[in-house]
Amino acid sequence: MSQKDSRVELSVIIPVGDRHSDAGALFADYQEGLGKLGMRHEVIFVLDGPQEDFAAGLQPIMHDNGNMTVVALTRSFGEATALMAGFEQASGELILTLPAYFQIRGAEIPKLVDAMELGDLAVARRWPRAGGRLELLRRNAFHGLIAWITGLRFRDLGCGARVMRRRVLEEVSLYGDQHRFLALLADRQGFRVREIDVAQSAQDRFTGRYRTREYVHRALDIFTVFFLVRFTKKPLRFFGMVGATTFGIGAAFLLYLVIDRLFFGEGLAGRPALLLSSLLVVLGLQLFALGLLGELIIFTHAKNIKDYQVDKVIQFPEMVPGNRIGQRHDTAHAP
Amino acid sequence: MNDRPKLSVIVPFFNEEESIRPLYLAIVRAVEPLGVSFEMVFVDDGSRDDTVRVATELAATDGRVRVVKFRRNYGQTAAMAAGIEYATGEILITMDGDLQNDPADIEFFLAKMAEGYDIVVGWRFNRQDKLVSRKIPSRIANRLIGKVTGVPINDNGCSLKAYRASLIKEIPLYSEMHRFIPAMASIAGPRIAEIKVRHHARQFGKSKYGLSRVYKVLLDLLVIKTVASFTSRPLIWFVLLSLPLVVVGTSTLGWSIYIAVAEHQNLPLPVAGTGLIFLTSALILISGGAFGELVYKTGDMREHHFARLTARLQGRHQGGTRG
Repeated sequence: MSQKDSRVELSVIIPVGDRHSDAGALFADYQEGLGKLGMRHEVIFVLDGPQEDFAAGLQPIMHDNGNMTVVALTRSFGEATALMAGFEQASGELILTLPAYFQIRGAEIPKLVDAMELGDLAVARRWPRAGGRLELLRRNAFHGLIAWITGLRFRDLGCGARVMRRRVLEEVSLYGDQHRFLALLADRQGFRVREIDVAQSAQDRFTGRYRTREYVHRALDIFTVFFLVRFTKKPLRFFGMVGATTFGIGAAFLLYLVIDRLFFGEGLAGRPALLLSSLLVVLGLQLFALGLLGELIIFTHAKNIKDYQVDKVIQFPEMVPGNRIGQRHDTAHAP
Repeated sequence: MNDRPKLSVIVPFFNEEESIRPLYLAIVRAVEPLGVSFEMVFVDDGSRDDTVRVATELAATDGRVRVVKFRRNYGQTAAMAAGIEYATGEILITMDGDLQNDPADIEFFLAKMAEGYDIVVGWRFNRQDKLVSRKIPSRIANRLIGKVTGVPINDNGCSLKAYRASLIKEIPLYSEMHRFIPAMASIAGPRIAEIKVRHHARQFGKSKYGLSRVYKVLLDLLVIKTVASFTSRPLIWFVLLSLPLVVVGTSTLGWSIYIAVAEHQNLPLPVAGTGLIFLTSALILISGGAFGELVYKTGDMREHHFARLTARLQGRHQGGTRG
């Protein structure tokens, strides 16, 4: 199982969470598209927790197909972590992630992989898309918010079908629920990201109802992205802004109370507004201090944080020897 | 060590396809007569025009040119940081890619560095920019930066600067710190000199910065002040910050108690509460300082490391040339 084919061109990673379809039917569908590709590929299933029915369904497939790996995680770590666990086993130059339930038609996979010629990451967008009005509204609201926050317009972040170059996953580390934001995080790292329309699977029907918990999670996700994309390197920009506003409001209020006391003789003792305004002042200061602490963390770890990604270094070393960075080791041997 | 060039000229470019070749020629014309070995590091900050193609052509004909191409636009600080990382010279000179700096000034920078300075900054004393939108804000900003950081420089915004490589390669540069490199470097206590440089009006393209950066500059300034005073003693810094809160809190609380005791009234709750809030806040701030100590201990910035950096440099100047 662990034997690696070094000539694998495409590694297919399928993280299997609680929501999954029948292993046999799903694999047959994907196999149709993968077969059309004509690339040497391997398939890696990552069982995120004990998905016993799926694991059982995998047995006959494993028996019939070569070059398959199953990574079984002991508990459910979340889809992004499962993806990274699968990536550790992957040896292909191209990585294709596919959902463990029907989202796209397997036959559409080549379309997605072909798009890689012009980019580093291609994410699928299910289109045309089935679904009711309410779901459409919900989807638009989510993606609209993301676009507003990050300035990046994606229309189907929930789709699990993505194809990328190896170095994308090497540089963008994901955890928790961040798989949804791979496109955003990769773009931030300077990768070229494209969105490709693919046909939706006829079986892609979400019949359940979203619980309140789901909404809370999405809202927190948006907040995470907001923070990750805009302020991880400049905490004071965020905390400073919020803190200064709070402080300003509180200080103005406080000033008003003091003037009222000094010039109009309105006693401070009986005014709860005094409490409110000083609370605001103090809160603003605390937020500001938090931002400063954040900056201190960034500063002390600045050596490990790279602000930029170099695409390539262009030099023609044969013209002047010894001007290269790599040769610094050689000069050490010189007398 | 004769493989290592004496001088690296670092130029970040962002959409400067017209400027890059004239600038290259000007640098070569200015530096070649000086008789020092040199290289040029051109950093392409994700240009969308032909900058990379022109730079590649230059690199193909001249081995002294190294082009560092970014995957996309990351801003001028990142471009400077990358240039510094990929430069191999002993002295690094940075300049703008828009032809507003004059490479003929490099000569004077080298002379000044030879006197033993670690950083030499340029001062555009006859600045060719708009008065209201560029010059006046910049004058105020420079005055402020000098006051706050304790590094009085007339023109922080001038890109034409020279650094001793061994020093600047150790200074963390991130966010939009390129305006504050001398201030940032001051944590290592370098010897800084300032010389007047020529400044030309823009020939090609248009200016990429505006008034909107004032807010960012102010915050960055505060950050530098904090991290620079922080490096040794976050706790002390935070205790200083919390002192006004302690004073206000104690006096407010004391006053409310005075009213209650001296005038035999009920304790005025809003006043007493306010005092308590301020005192609590001071406590939290001080805890924040303790937390800062923890952060500093787990990080990899060490003040004695910076101290060693300049100490070694000064030793070398006094010792004269080695070997």
